[in-house]
Amino acid sequence: MIRKELVAASAEPLILSLLAKGESYGYAIIQEVKARSGGKLQWTDGMLYPVLHRMEHRGLIKSRWAESETGRKRKYYSLKKDGKTAMAKHQEQWSLVHGVLSGLRKERYV
Amino acid sequence: MFDLEKAIAEWRQQMLAAGIKTPVPLAELESHLRDEIALQMKSGTNASLAFEIAVQQIGMANMLKDEFEKVDATKVTRTLKQYRAIMVACLGMESLFWATCLLLKVGRFSEITAAQQMSGLAAVAVMILLAGIGLFGHGPANLGRRVRDLICISRGRLLGLLWVWFFCYVTEPVGFLFILPRFDGGPLWIMLPPAGVLFGFIGGLEKAALKKTAMAAS
Repeated sequence: MIRKELVAASAEPLILSLLAKGESYGYAIIQEVKARSGGKLQWTDGMLYPVLHRMEHRGLIKSRWAESETGRKRKYYSLKKDGKTAMAKHQEQWSLVHGVLSGLRKERYV
Repeated sequence: MFDLEKAIAEWRQQMLAAGIKTPVPLAELESHLRDEIALQMKSGTNASLAFEIAVQQIGMANMLKDEFEKVDATKVTRTLKQYRAIMVACLGMESLFWATCLLLKVGRFSEITAAQQMSGLAAVAVMILLAGIGLFGHGPANLGRRVRDLICISRGRLLGLLWVWFFCYVTEPVGFLFILPRFDGGPLWIMLPPAGVLFGFIGGLEKAALKKTAMAAS
């Protein structure tokens, strides 16, 4: 299981990257993250919503209520322009960290 | 027999009691809860167990409330920044207005001497200084909410009155209402420093109140 500090730090870039594929809602976001990480990246489900709300207040994403296929109302989130910029920054920073770690690992085992 | 709707209604009550607000985010959390229950039941879990699993996964009410309060704190901090920017802009406009009137010798300032001009500009500077102390210093955060509201309401009216009075004084559209001599430096010294104090005091007061809310929520 991944440490909670890393889970918390990765929440925003993951949400932004998932929403870049298209509009989605809280439950679907959690399910997709679980599936893509093989269940290793797990959030306490309810904790996702404060993160989404904070991102919405910061103008990174926007939301709308719409009826789901089951007839219930759901809150759908989508990316805003600032969100796209933030996502690009996140990806750049995470790539940098990944690059440094990969480089160090190679040096150690070569 | 387990009643799913009753169990969800009770869960809603627990969330409300813990301070989770309605309709948002409670409606959103309930939608999530129902999605999880539906998924569990689809895979063969009975309603009672599906509900328990979904509640456990969504998290404890108190924990969620703390997280949502942090979101509120972010909002307050944002409001605080916007508020300060508005106050600084108002102060800037007011100072610019008086400085322009004095430098270009508009209206009642048309016959002022260089010394009176300097005196007027000094009054404007004192207003900026006094307002700045209040806006960027520490405000009295511990005043009661009712007192704060009262002062803040009177702020708008007093500043509005000051503006009308001075505008009429300078441009003389209804000059006969203001039995005042032409500018000799006095009126600006009577009005601008108190306006600065008012600006700064109220600005500081609201800023401190917002800060207090942000700190309580963080």
